[in-house]
Amino acid sequence: MSQPVLNLQKLNKSFGALKATSDLSMTVMPGEIHALIGPNGAGKTTLIQQIYGALKPDSGQVSLNGSEITKLSVPDRVRAGIGRSFQISNVLMDFTVMENGIIAEQARLGHSFRFLQPAFSDAVLIEGAKAILQRVGLEKRAEQRVGDLAHGERRMLELALALAASPSLLLLDEPMAGAGPEDSQRMAEIIEALRGKVAILLIEHDMDAVFRLADRLTVMVEGAVIAAGTVAEISANEAVKLAYLGGEE
Amino acid sequence: MSGLAHFLTLASDGMKANRLFWLLIAGFAFFPIFTHFADLPFWNDVAMRIMLLGMAAMGLNLVLGYGGMVSFGHAAFIGIGAYCVGIGDFYGLTNGWAHMLLGIVVCGLMGLVIGYLALRTSGIYFIMITLAFAQMLFFLFVSLEQFGGDDGMSIDRAEFGFIDLYNPLRLYFLIWVTLALVGLGLMFIVHSRFGVTLRAIKSNESRIEAMGLEPLQFKITGYVISAVICGLAGVLFANWQEYVSPDIMHWTRSGELMIIIILGGLGTLAGPLLGAIVFLLLEESLPIMLDSVAPAYAENWMILFGPLLIMVVMFGRGGLVGLLAAQRQSKNNPKRTKAGQ
Repeated sequence: MSQPVLNLQKLNKSFGALKATSDLSMTVMPGEIHALIGPNGAGKTTLIQQIYGALKPDSGQVSLNGSEITKLSVPDRVRAGIGRSFQISNVLMDFTVMENGIIAEQARLGHSFRFLQPAFSDAVLIEGAKAILQRVGLEKRAEQRVGDLAHGERRMLELALALAASPSLLLLDEPMAGAGPEDSQRMAEIIEALRGKVAILLIEHDMDAVFRLADRLTVMVEGAVIAAGTVAEISANEAVKLAYLGGEE
Repeated sequence: MSGLAHFLTLASDGMKANRLFWLLIAGFAFFPIFTHFADLPFWNDVAMRIMLLGMAAMGLNLVLGYGGMVSFGHAAFIGIGAYCVGIGDFYGLTNGWAHMLLGIVVCGLMGLVIGYLALRTSGIYFIMITLAFAQMLFFLFVSLEQFGGDDGMSIDRAEFGFIDLYNPLRLYFLIWVTLALVGLGLMFIVHSRFGVTLRAIKSNESRIEAMGLEPLQFKITGYVISAVICGLAGVLFANWQEYVSPDIMHWTRSGELMIIIILGGLGTLAGPLLGAIVFLLLEESLPIMLDSVAPAYAENWMILFGPLLIMVVMFGRGGLVGLLAAQRQSKNNPKRTKAGQ
């Protein structure tokens, strides 16, 4: 079997008396869509934050493609191959869609300490930005200010920015939250199209979408993994039914 | 394609996009002719003060307007620049170019140190730390008796090679050329990859991190550039004033610079210069106007000044440049009214 893209080993994180992550180990394999589910307060976002580097675990190891990244900063981890979308759309609101793409492209190229050539009219950057926007079908909206975009389009743009640097692991924190059925459908299609190309760790409350998209699931309750497996295995798991699927509704 | 031709195309494109700023610069170039024929030599002095404060405000605007870093201590860099002339003079260094070089190096280093420490914080803490550093430097110079302490030191205008600064017009045009070059440099910087990243950090720092860039590097670099520009203004300020004292770096001047920027238009090239023009013209003319109406209150002109500034800030979001742009754009394109794009 090939090497996992993401390997978490015995992660622990406490906030005072609250154990947000408890001896948590899991892997995400190349090209798979791996859903992380669990009731509210299970510690899913805290876990994502530790993978991303915004929070440091109290103990344990985070490895990306076989090398340890536990001590790296957020920008270093992004350069090592992590892309992310946030619970609340995180895009450059004061700029146009095209300008967002251009900044992502120049960040990808790694030459941002240049002081002379105007970035927004740089042909190389514009080409790269177009390619970034095309991946989510936003090229027609290029001249629109992001502040004027609809919620769903902003979500798409954020996904495009997260994909710009061709990450090996994509962290999607509730990509469909707040989106209407049409936007959710499009987002699902785009995520589906990424299957096999990039490993995705997906947090999502829309269970229909999760069961349709996920290759594997990990179920978290109170900071710990209570079950992991394929969709069929998880739906048959008694502990999951009790703790989560049955208990909520 | 030759590098120079490329540079010139870029420069002329930029000038077309920033017409207001370059019109103001052209205005300053012709202003001495006007004062000569109108026999108002005093106003050359006012114009020089405007250009100097405008230059410093342009420097601060790079971090305040474009970078979103509210530095409340930039007068310190003006002071350091000015003391580079005074202290240089004191030790027999009389060459003006050497003063400039010294001012650039010292302000760059101080900007690096202060920026490195202060930029670990943000918001109100950043404001307070920059103010604290400026106050430390202020009291340091107050306590340095050999350089005049509280009273300051008078200085001879420096030797700028063939440029004799005791000829008032040459001093005027030395300031003018420096201002134009600073404007040219800033015009390139804010649209460059670096400048775009700096503006994006202001817009959303966490997205820039998520793109794999380290915001602190860009913020410190911007801070150093802005410190150097303020230092240059300080070097020229000392020559213009023929005198330097800790007063030049008093915290109220940091406030003045911020008011000038907000009045003119945050994050625009022309804003700080336009702000300096209006600010200093009001400062000159309000007492005179008040004197003719109500002589008893002439020295309380700030009673009018304050509310005027507050009104511009409240009703003209985007400052004077924003007001001008909104007026022009309401005719053609009502959608995009944000200044500084």
